[in-house]
Amino acid sequence: MIDLSTELAGIRLANPLVAASGVFGYGEEYARLGDIRWFGAVSVKGTTLEPREGNPPPRVCETPSGMLNSIGLENPGAEVAARKKIPWLRQFGVPIIVNISGNTYEEFSELGAIFSDVEGISALEVNVSCPNVASGGLTFGMDARSSYRATLSVRKTWKGPLIVKLTPNSPDIVSIARAAVEGGADILSLINTLIGMAIDIKTRRPVLGNVTGGLSGPAIKPVALRCVYQVSQAVEVPIIGMGGVSSYRDVLEFIMAGASAVGIGAGLLVDPLLPKKILADLEEYCREEGIATLTGLTGCAWRE
Amino acid sequence: MKTCEGSRLVGTKEAECIETGFTGHGPFEVLASITSVKREQGGVRTALLYAPEIARRAKPMQFVQVKVVPLTDPFLRRPFGFSRISPDEGIIGITWATVGKGTSLMAGWHEGDTVSVLGPLGNGLQVDRISGIACTPPENAPEQHTGRGNPSRSMEQRSKGRSVWLIAGGTGLAPLYPLAESMKPQVSDITVLYGAKTSASLMDTSPFGAMGCRVTVSTEDGSKGARGRVTEALGRLLASAGETLRHNRPLAVACGPAPMLRAVKSMLADTPVELYISLEERMACGTGLCRGCAVKAASPRRGYLHVCTDGPVFPAGEVLLGGEG
Repeated sequence: MIDLSTELAGIRLANPLVAASGVFGYGEEYARLGDIRWFGAVSVKGTTLEPREGNPPPRVCETPSGMLNSIGLENPGAEVAARKKIPWLRQFGVPIIVNISGNTYEEFSELGAIFSDVEGISALEVNVSCPNVASGGLTFGMDARSSYRATLSVRKTWKGPLIVKLTPNSPDIVSIARAAVEGGADILSLINTLIGMAIDIKTRRPVLGNVTGGLSGPAIKPVALRCVYQVSQAVEVPIIGMGGVSSYRDVLEFIMAGASAVGIGAGLLVDPLLPKKILADLEEYCREEGIATLTGLTGCAWRE
Repeated sequence: MKTCEGSRLVGTKEAECIETGFTGHGPFEVLASITSVKREQGGVRTALLYAPEIARRAKPMQFVQVKVVPLTDPFLRRPFGFSRISPDEGIIGITWATVGKGTSLMAGWHEGDTVSVLGPLGNGLQVDRISGIACTPPENAPEQHTGRGNPSRSMEQRSKGRSVWLIAGGTGLAPLYPLAESMKPQVSDITVLYGAKTSASLMDTSPFGAMGCRVTVSTEDGSKGARGRVTEALGRLLASAGETLRHNRPLAVACGPAPMLRAVKSMLADTPVELYISLEERMACGTGLCRGCAVKAASPRRGYLHVCTDGPVFPAGEVLLGGEG
């Protein structure tokens, strides 16, 4: 019997695959495409205090082995998420991670308080790394001190497991990881997208309506792996690794680099059935390699 | 919801594709085999794909997302409307002009190759919900109702049915073919207004003619049909319809480049013509997951709509096109 399950700060995941925030909405679209239970956990769309309609189009642009997006946290706001979206998603029995994004430290605290009153949330994920909103987002995550304060702000009002999602755009992700843990993070997720852009040579203008956007997809996997490899050696908390996962090999690489669970983001946009295929391939890999417990491989690339 | 691991299940029965415990009607991923690839008039190619799970459910103006090659570059699937829907044969058709990386690679497709196709996606045009035009799939409609070759019947239909205007530019003609086909049993008066830059880029309109549609072709350089843009032909049609517009209230469906759609929308804005437009926007998933293909809703309360899940066909009044509003 092969054990693909994993644990994140006391949260039991049936398998290490996590639907990454931003490609899963609140599950309603995915429920028409595949089985939400294929995931070990799901992270919902970045949710803000007030509803946001998102950025002007074009919002997406393909790049070599990847894509840029500048969706801009289009979401119905915390109240609708708490009252309607999360209760609906509970029916699948899959651990729910609510990704939250605040413009101020106070907003982060308030978001923590709102979701403390909602049943069935396994963890909050503090988004200090969204590159597509003018205020907040990335500005917190670029700096160790503001990452610490943002984490602490949620920690004050949210008593459950707390995830902080890190950006690869800061020059020193390790010191930001340490600051987040010091602020009360129980789990780290990394990486968010890399800031990039594209120019349309016909119009001679940026392609994206927001000018810059977040790069994701296989193109960023080497950067993501490096970040997980470095951060997992520097902190004690478990890590959800992500960035360009599109096959079971990628999942294995992230686990070997130090991740306890692995997010699927842009890959899901291309192949909605990806988690199902990856799970089958992981089982086959474990069988062939004689591996009984997949998470036994966590960090094997750097451990003695 | 149903999912089909099409790569291993092509040609199997629907029941075998259904995961237990689901009740929805989601799209299928099918590893479709290419049954033919043809170069056609107008510098386009059409591929016919064997994808029975999709063909059986496809509605005109819906689309599929095609993984052109099973590699990470190009990364995203490519959206294509249906240029043919043959549920009985299990065949769908997609038609494209070579414009970029994806479509260039598609020029290398061969008969017998297989490609991953996800669909059907989007809402299509729910013609049966538009009052005065009850539209049923062709196979369900008795042949004699077409009215073709029966002038008296045709007159009778014309007097009670609304007219349909199909307005297309460039490759925008392709998805209108299955639409016309689906309307044909119940709509006697279908006019196709089609325009392209030159005769070399004109797609073949003869299938519409064979169906009994009135076809008006325009080219910008006058190398075939009327000289000018398709909107000029629309202006003439509007003028000739005159007073009959008010009681006939034609249904118009426009598919083509964004400037054409803007022009058509503005021309028909203050007329009794009910206009639907098929939109394109840079799209990533096509399934509603990413929220990428945003289009501004006319009602500020609705924020952005999404081409993949709210469209791709919209009542023209519900969306703001670039430069409007």
